[in-house]
This record gives sequence, C-alpha cells and structure tokens, in this order.
Amino acid sequence: MVKKIWPVSTVLAAVSLSLLVSCGEKEKKNESESFQGKTLSLLVWEGYADPKFTAEFEKQYGVKVAGTYFNSGDDLVAKLKAGGGNAYDVISPSGDMAGFLVQSDMVEPIDVSLMPNYKDLSPKLVLPDVEKNGKVYGIPYMWGPDYLVYDADVIKEAPTSWSVFWDPTYKGKVSLYDDISNIYLIGQMMELDKTDPAALYNMTEEQLAFARKKLLELNPAVRKYWVSAGELNDLFANKEVVVSVGWPITVKEVNEKGRNLKWTIPKEGTTGWIDRLMIVKGSKNQKLAALYINYIVGAKGQALTAEVTNYSPGNAKAAAFMSEDLQKATYVNEMDSLFAKINFWQYVANRARYNEIWTEVKTGK
Amino acid sequence: MRQGNRQGRSRFVLLGILAPAVIWLVLFLILPYFNLFSFSFWQNDVFTVRHEFNLLNYAKFFTESQTGAAPYLVLLDTLKLACWVTVCTLLLSFPLAYFIRFKVTRYKQALYMLVIIPLWVSYIMRAYSWKIILGTNGILNSFLLWLGIVDTPVSFFLYSDVSVIIGMTHIYTPFVLMPVYTALEQIPQNLIEASNDLGGNRLRTFLHVVFPLALPGIITGGTYAFVLSMGDFLAPSLLGGPTSSTKIANIVQQQFGTSNNWPYGAAIGIVILVLVLGLLEVTGRLERHFSKLESTSPRTLR
Repeated sequence: MVKKIWPVSTVLAAVSLSLLVSCGEKEKKNESESFQGKTLSLLVWEGYADPKFTAEFEKQYGVKVAGTYFNSGDDLVAKLKAGGGNAYDVISPSGDMAGFLVQSDMVEPIDVSLMPNYKDLSPKLVLPDVEKNGKVYGIPYMWGPDYLVYDADVIKEAPTSWSVFWDPTYKGKVSLYDDISNIYLIGQMMELDKTDPAALYNMTEEQLAFARKKLLELNPAVRKYWVSAGELNDLFANKEVVVSVGWPITVKEVNEKGRNLKWTIPKEGTTGWIDRLMIVKGSKNQKLAALYINYIVGAKGQALTAEVTNYSPGNAKAAAFMSEDLQKATYVNEMDSLFAKINFWQYVANRARYNEIWTEVKTGK
Repeated sequence: MRQGNRQGRSRFVLLGILAPAVIWLVLFLILPYFNLFSFSFWQNDVFTVRHEFNLLNYAKFFTESQTGAAPYLVLLDTLKLACWVTVCTLLLSFPLAYFIRFKVTRYKQALYMLVIIPLWVSYIMRAYSWKIILGTNGILNSFLLWLGIVDTPVSFFLYSDVSVIIGMTHIYTPFVLMPVYTALEQIPQNLIEASNDLGGNRLRTFLHVVFPLALPGIITGGTYAFVLSMGDFLAPSLLGGPTSSTKIANIVQQQFGTSNNWPYGAAIGIVILVLVLGLLEVTGRLERHFSKLESTSPRTLR
C-alpha cells in the first residue's frame, strides 16, 4: 500500500496559491467596489462616447463615463493642455497625433497583459509609433478613410477624382474639413505619395506653396469648411452642400434622416486614420481607464461603436455582434480591401507651417 | 479721540467693502493681462513655450509670411466688418429708440423690454436661428421664391460676410439701443417745446436739439457695437463662409487652440488691446465733448 504523501513544499505552494487566488478575488472585488461613484472622463472623437456602449460599462462598475469631443488632432492637444493635465483620463488620438503624444510623454504606458481583448486586435493596427522602450502606450480602436461623400440625388454618378471639387457645376456646394488635412489631399492629387506614402506629411516648401494656391482657388467653390462631423451632417441635411470630404458617420447619420448620401474613394486614393485609445499622463483613474479600454476594444464594445459611427472595428470578432449591412459598411470581414487603399495620417513635423498655410487659405490672404 | 476712532473704523469698513473688488480686479484682470503681456514676448516651440525675450511675434503679425500677406490685414478686415455692424446697429437702434421715446405713449416699457428680451436667449441659439432663416432652404429664401422675386435660392444670405453682419447686428442692437434710449430719455421735454415755441419745425428741432443731445448716447452705443463685434469669434465661425469665418478674434482663438501658439496669440491680443484702449480714449473724449446736458442739467432747467 502506497500512501501518497504530499511533499510539504507542494502543500505549501497549493495553500499559498489558493490564498493568493482568494486574495486576488478579494482584491478584485474591492477594486470594483472602490470605483463606485467615480467619473471616467473621455476626450474623444465625435461618436466615441455614446451611451449605447458607455451605459453598460457604467452599470457594471457603478461609475459615470463623461465624454468631451475634440475636432482635430491639434484641437485634442489644445484641450489637453487647457485641461491642465488630469482633467481627462482616456483620449482617442488618430495617427497624426498618437506618436507625438507618446514621444512628448503626455500619456501613460498600458500593461497589455492585463487586457485580454488586446490579442484579438488586428496586427495591422498594432504599430510601433505608440511603443517606447518596449512599452505600449496606445490600444487600436477604430479606423477608417476620408471618403469623398456626395449627395447621390444631385450627383448621379460617383465622382472618380477629387478634382470634382473644382468642377464649376458644384460651385458653392462644396465642403472640406477645417484642418490641415486638406493639404494632404492636394499632395495626394499631386501624386506625391506614389513613391513615398509619407511624402504627404513632409511636403517641401514648393509643394506647400502649390497646395496653398490650389486651395485658394477652391475657396469660391466652398460653402463652408466643417469643423465637426455634426456640422457637416447639418450642411448635407440642409442641402447647403452636395459634395465633401467626410467620414462614414456622416453618411450613416444623414441617411438616417431619409437622405441619399453615398461615398467613394477617387482614383487618386485617399487618406485615413487609425484611432488609438490612450491613458492621459497623471490620470487619477488609470485602472478604471484600462478596464474601459479593454471593454470597448472587445468584440461587443467595438460592434456597438461601429453601429454608432460606421467606422471599421479593429477587432474582427466584432462581426458576431453586427448586422450584415453593418459588416459590409465597415469592411469588418474584408479589412484588407479597404485598408490597402488608405494612406494613413502621420505626424506632421512641420505642422506650424502647415497650420500657417491653412490659416492663409481661410483668410484668403 | 472718539472722532479719530470712528474715522479709523469707517476707513476699516471701507477697506473691507473695497477689498473683494480689488482682489477680483487683481486676480482676474490685472494678473491675466500681465501674463498675456509677458507671454507675447516669448517664443513658441512644438507645443511648448520657450521663455526667451524677443519681438518675433509682433514682427510676424506685421510682416509678410513666406507665402502669404501680412496677418495684420485680417485685423483691417475685422475693423471694416465692425464698422458695418456699428452703422447697421445705429441705423436700427436710433429710429427705434426715437419712436419709443417720443411716439409711443402707452406700453413704452413693454416695447423697450421687447428689444432687451433677446439678451436673455443664449448667444449660440440666436446665431443658430439665423442659419435657419438665411439658409439655402431657409425661411427667407422660401419666402422670396414664393413671391417669385428669385428663381433659385440666394446663396450669399448665409455663410458670407452678409450673414455675419446680419447676425452681429441682431445680437448687438440691444447694446446700442440702451444708451441711445437713455440719452433720448434725458432730453427735457421743455427744450423741445422751447424749440417749437421759437418757430423751429420738427426737422430743425431734431437737428438742433434732439440729435446733438443724443450724440453722447450714440457714441457710447456705437463704441459698444464696434468693440463687441471686433472681438466676436462665434458669429463668424457659425455664420461665415470659407473666407469670412476667420476674423482677428478667430485667429487669436486658433493660436490658443488648434495652432497651439500661445505667445503669438498673446501678441495679437496685446495689439488688439492697445487698439481698443485707444479707441475708448477717443470716443470717451468725444462723448465728453458733446455732453451738453451735464452743464445745463435738466434739474436746473426745471
């Protein structure tokens, strides 16, 4: 008869492990209790703080999720600075600002090992611009293109080139985004990106002067430069404009009002964006912020965000929670077919000059 | 000795009453202005500020850029716009104030209030409502189409300098009406009667009695309209078009916002501040110059 005697060390290990586990559980419980009544502040793009997906998180942790919208990468930095450091917990910069925020030490590293949903995100979106010293600072969220959006009741055939903006037929009915990204657009029309995709974000002084000239020529054709997606929606809804640079959320929201907007990618190609979620440096709710990010990049969180914005989710598993139409609109199952067509925004080192040119265009001087 | 004590105490009380106001002024007016002033001599780096004394921000404002014209031209554009708004608000306010003062007998107060009430409505609401009125499919265009005056909607009503001027005129008219009305209200009836008795007809009475006596109010009101419309950045950004939505106040706001260049914004702010202070000094002098009622106040006339 062999009596199995557990070695002391094993017993000890088992006991300590169970203790550890129970401690962990206890801690976890305490933690979720300690979040009670806290407010998580998001500073994000329009549509990224919708109650459709924040409500569930609020209920789960007994917290409040408050959203503030920013309108451009520069606007994000301005609001972060004006907020004085820790007014916001989570931000959603696009590729034009994400790397800069990491390099200038404005965001906290994120422990992705504590983020189970991180591994489900497309490796195409996990980019080195938000990594520093082996640490990850940004979690991919949604991505999408800058579409050429048009009113299909007025423009019957999809425009094939961005030059439709200069077409006299639509004079006074054109809109563009009030941002330096219009300069990228001209760069793309000049085919600068054919040899080097980064060329749009590093244009030379002559190229910038040309862009300035082209945009000044376009001024009389423009009805209004839109500052926020909401403003563009109104412009289309009120029939003030028929063609514009726009994001999928505009097509979705205006068509919900019974209109017939369509989108296309002209032959010159288009630019686009990958939005990452980050935790602001010095945030007082870092643990809660990490929990929120994990929740929202999970399959369900991304599906709901896609439903609100029609942007493409970075998590392919989101498809399980999406309608067939939405799956098609967001390319969730065929990411590559859209992804390959986009020249994604990058940080513009010479942004002061880009901004100066853009102001000159807007003042007509 | 008791006298001295009382004096000391009243001085103490006076100090107590004045202290909050002084602290308020220092904290929220003098310190910020000083801060702005010192910022305007620093230099911008990528999203930060280099504390290095220089005049480059001022130079930048007054000289041509690599590609474009000098930025101060936007200030001149804005002054032009402010002139338009001033003229329009005065043309609206004066006849209205005159009417309420001299022609209305009943409901005078009610009519005056009707002009003031819009001030209770949020600024943004008022500016937005003009979008609904002036838009391509707005009320005004629908009306003109219905009347058959135009065949296609008029586009320059909205997102142009015209809409900015209309919006601002609407928003600043109450500010002009109030001082103009007050000036008219203070004109003693017996002066007008005297003019009539001496054979002055209505036009003569108006030109030689009413208008000169209302002039200080007109100057005050005009100054309000001018200064307020010059510093307004909301109306241009909501109602302006591609090139009419960026006035000098928008440029300043941009420097503290998307352009992230606080020192440059501060320098433009100081330029505007100096301009406005100069303007206030001039209009203040003009006002005193034309204030004839003070030396012959209504009370002594009675």
